[in-house]
Amino acid sequence: MALNEEQQAQLLRHLNGELSPTEAADVAQLLKEDAEARDFLRGVAEQAVVVADVERLAQHREPAKVVSPVFNPAKWAVAAAIILVFVGSFLFTILSANKGHTAEVVAIHGPNQHLAADGVTQPELAPGTMLKIGDKLRTLSSRSWVKLKLNGGSYVMVTGRSSLRLIRDETHRAFLLRYGNLWATINTPEGTKPFSVLTETARINTSNAQFDIETKFQEISVVSVDQGSVTTERLSDGSRVEVAEDHQTIISMSQRRSLIAKRQPEPVNQWNCKMLSSPEAVFGKWLAPDENNRVRLNATPLLIGKNKTIYATNFSVRSSGSPPVMIENGSRFRIRLTTQTADPVYVGITTKKHRGGFFGKYTEKLEGDQLGQAGKARTIEIPVSDFVPLDKSLSPTAVGTELTDIWLVAPKESAELEIHKVEFVAREVAQ
Amino acid sequence: MGQRDRISAAAWLVVRDAHIAEDIFQNVALKAMAKEVTFDSDGALMSWAFITARREGIDWLRRQKNAPVNLDETILELLEAEWANESLGQAGSRSQALRDCLSELPAKSRELLKLRYFDGQRCEEVAASLGTKLDAVYKRLSRLHQGLKGCIETKLNQAAS
Repeated sequence: MALNEEQQAQLLRHLNGELSPTEAADVAQLLKEDAEARDFLRGVAEQAVVVADVERLAQHREPAKVVSPVFNPAKWAVAAAIILVFVGSFLFTILSANKGHTAEVVAIHGPNQHLAADGVTQPELAPGTMLKIGDKLRTLSSRSWVKLKLNGGSYVMVTGRSSLRLIRDETHRAFLLRYGNLWATINTPEGTKPFSVLTETARINTSNAQFDIETKFQEISVVSVDQGSVTTERLSDGSRVEVAEDHQTIISMSQRRSLIAKRQPEPVNQWNCKMLSSPEAVFGKWLAPDENNRVRLNATPLLIGKNKTIYATNFSVRSSGSPPVMIENGSRFRIRLTTQTADPVYVGITTKKHRGGFFGKYTEKLEGDQLGQAGKARTIEIPVSDFVPLDKSLSPTAVGTELTDIWLVAPKESAELEIHKVEFVAREVAQ
Repeated sequence: MGQRDRISAAAWLVVRDAHIAEDIFQNVALKAMAKEVTFDSDGALMSWAFITARREGIDWLRRQKNAPVNLDETILELLEAEWANESLGQAGSRSQALRDCLSELPAKSRELLKLRYFDGQRCEEVAASLGTKLDAVYKRLSRLHQGLKGCIETKLNQAAS
């Protein structure tokens, strides 16, 4: 039976989520019984993804505009020189405005994935790869990072589990951060466009700044500025705030609170994850309490490459609303966990420079004998001096930096890793 | 290309966001590369891919607070089965035909589709962006989708004859 226009509109309303439960039930019945309705719905879905694909490709294409100045040097030497300068700068402006920006991959660590604008999926990026408008990169694991060099001596780094795409913007070098963490050091010398990042909740623009963005659950963006200043715009209502050096703002979809920038608080030297009562456990699956443990965050499978799955939990110190947490000599991590096997567990941390950008990632391997009896919860203390850098280029110690996140990973599913408590404990001061 | 569009489309029906659907397709591609088992046929591979995409989509929905109302799983299964019944070659031709049809659309129609599916605006937001009524947006979208479907069939028939 051919669908009429009203039925088609009703299907579209259903996709838009605006039908009452009764109307939705009617649509569900129609879809179960009518192949024509399903055919229409499949058509809509195919068209939706292809429209998005075509638009991405359209952004990827660079319009070719070449304008040739005409002049007579013999007759109009002086005037021509002026015109030449004028046309030259005009041409430069036109071309730089139309030419899409690029980003060169200069460093990578850990698993990542590259989706070119034409849809070709590459398993890994390599240093030297040039990303163009429409290209997307994803860093797949807590231990991953990719550093990009932009023109004008600017650098952007994505870390942890993040998704970043180069997008077209006539007036900015623009990126879309769908989720994850981005660190940027931006310069805008003459002839270079300013920099812009779009998240699910905010648009962040700057010409000169060192700052970072952390997104949480694609609903909140936290912008912290260490040098220079950035302008943030809340997408839900268009409100804006200038975030100056040493300031921070939190942008959510909710308009209940006005958008303000606050000075970053003075650093502390300890942190206690509130676990169930707060959103800082950003990765993992909550399990129901059992007789031994009220709080149980189960490591979640994370596919990080060919034949490689790890089981991970992740805790964001910065998302907890805590002041910056300084890592000092003698500091230690106190973690209560359970594993079902003697297989090793890795503890990792991400650090940033105090009032500065990304510093590095460090890890410590906990062997079976440190993990205690299988199936029994155990509290483990790990001195910060036990952590080693994930990359040779990093400083051998994280002391003197700020702690931004902590992750725990079991390479094997059978470990059934559960985390009950995570603390960062200050060094003990002698009385 | 055809397979990618169909798996992404199946994911889109769950999450209603073309960018998330693309992420899900990437995850499915990564999982397919990581799988040690081989599939007996293209059909078995596609069937696995549809189920994996649906599960990924449902997982994503569970993590969202304002997730769209999900379609009944039995309906999703019916839709996936119908997709899977199309031959792979046919899917590729359909995909190309759709791209050709999109390129022939007037700029205003392209803009409407872009706002709704690329920018991910809800229909109310599209209506506000275009300064028109919500009902008019639904009417135009219905006609556009139906028109594109007709255009694809015409192109496929022309190619066959």
